[in-house]
Amino acid sequence: MELSTFFPAVLLTSVAAGTVGAVLGLGGGILLVPILTMFFGVDIHYAMGASIISVIATSSGAAAAHLRTGLSNLRIGLFLVLATISGAIVGASLAGVAPVHWLEMILGLALGYSAFTTIKQINVEVPGEAPANRLAARFGLEGSYYDRLLRREVRYRATRVGLGLTAMFGAGVLSGLLGIGSGAFKVLAMDYFMRLPMKVSTATSNFMIGLTAAASAGIYFSRGDINPLVVAPVAIGVLGGAYLGTALVARLANRTVRKVFLPVLIYLALSMVLRALGIHFP
Amino acid sequence: MTARAHTAARAAVDVEQVISRVLLGGGLLSIALVVIGLALYASHTGLRDRPLEVHRMERPGRQGHPPEVFVSLAEVAAGLRSRPVEPLAVIALGLALLLMTPVLGVAVAIPSFLAAGDRRYAGIAAVVLAMLVLSMLITGGLG
Repeated sequence: MELSTFFPAVLLTSVAAGTVGAVLGLGGGILLVPILTMFFGVDIHYAMGASIISVIATSSGAAAAHLRTGLSNLRIGLFLVLATISGAIVGASLAGVAPVHWLEMILGLALGYSAFTTIKQINVEVPGEAPANRLAARFGLEGSYYDRLLRREVRYRATRVGLGLTAMFGAGVLSGLLGIGSGAFKVLAMDYFMRLPMKVSTATSNFMIGLTAAASAGIYFSRGDINPLVVAPVAIGVLGGAYLGTALVARLANRTVRKVFLPVLIYLALSMVLRALGIHFP
Repeated sequence: MTARAHTAARAAVDVEQVISRVLLGGGLLSIALVVIGLALYASHTGLRDRPLEVHRMERPGRQGHPPEVFVSLAEVAAGLRSRPVEPLAVIALGLALLLMTPVLGVAVAIPSFLAAGDRRYAGIAAVVLAMLVLSMLITGGLG
């Protein structure tokens, strides 16, 4: 494909990926990798390199905006990312030893189950008063944001922090081991286990995914997976899209974000189960 | 630390705003470098009739990787020093800066939390930074 066609087409795709990623707290790789490989014929390694750049660009762009408006909770993000990064280090060192197909199957089933729980609470706009939690009180895992749709300050406090930390550690292990992003898991752990408002969960996940990705970005670089000509339009488009996404999410209801999140979850669950059975589609 | 103490501390130094500015600045600066590199590339080489080599070589690495890919900061630096400047090295510099931006954010969080009087979270940010550096060393880093 000629560069004069490749650049604008990938730029537009990346704007979309950045927007979706910023709204859902994911890196956008879920959209980019299949499109780059299937429609543009890009080598899977270059596509993965583009994906890691996309995660960091989404994270930097979205977190910059969400931290300013208070939707992203810096303390909760830093506290939880302790578990994710240590998980990622453990996962990376288990690579080649762990039974990958079994893990993919467990991951697929866990995602399928969480899709089910997401359906159950799909219409919850703001979680009710959470039961007090010792870790949450000790580490100040609480906050508030101004909801433009509800026209009021929404206060929240994390609960079941131990469970959330465990899920974050598991998400880190899996992403280190399987080389997949773990944005969806981070959102689930905060939304479902810790009962944070959905938009706070996705915005805080946006901050966290950049850190987890940065931990493994070096290896993509030194392996030669980051091709400047492939990645340049991705970086520009995704960052632009991330700004669009953050402007959009401020106007969306928590319910709406969860409804957009659900099909992504189902897709992830199916692709993981298929991977476990040896059927790969990116 | 109580919620009220958090609010009081936040009034002195707003850590969120500081990190927000670092992430925004890092993102914009790296994109600016990517755009400049692309413009240089387009003016030197042209984009028409330039097929993109989208298939990675079988054995990348120092000998095997295609000329447009940079695998270390040393290679990027060499490209920047060459005259005329290698446009793709400018893009690679922007991308490397983008990869470092989240790490920079955490590094800046440490003194900001300290200035805000939140020693616990200064400590947590320091541990996160140490783990990021550790995992970069384990996985080979930016070489």
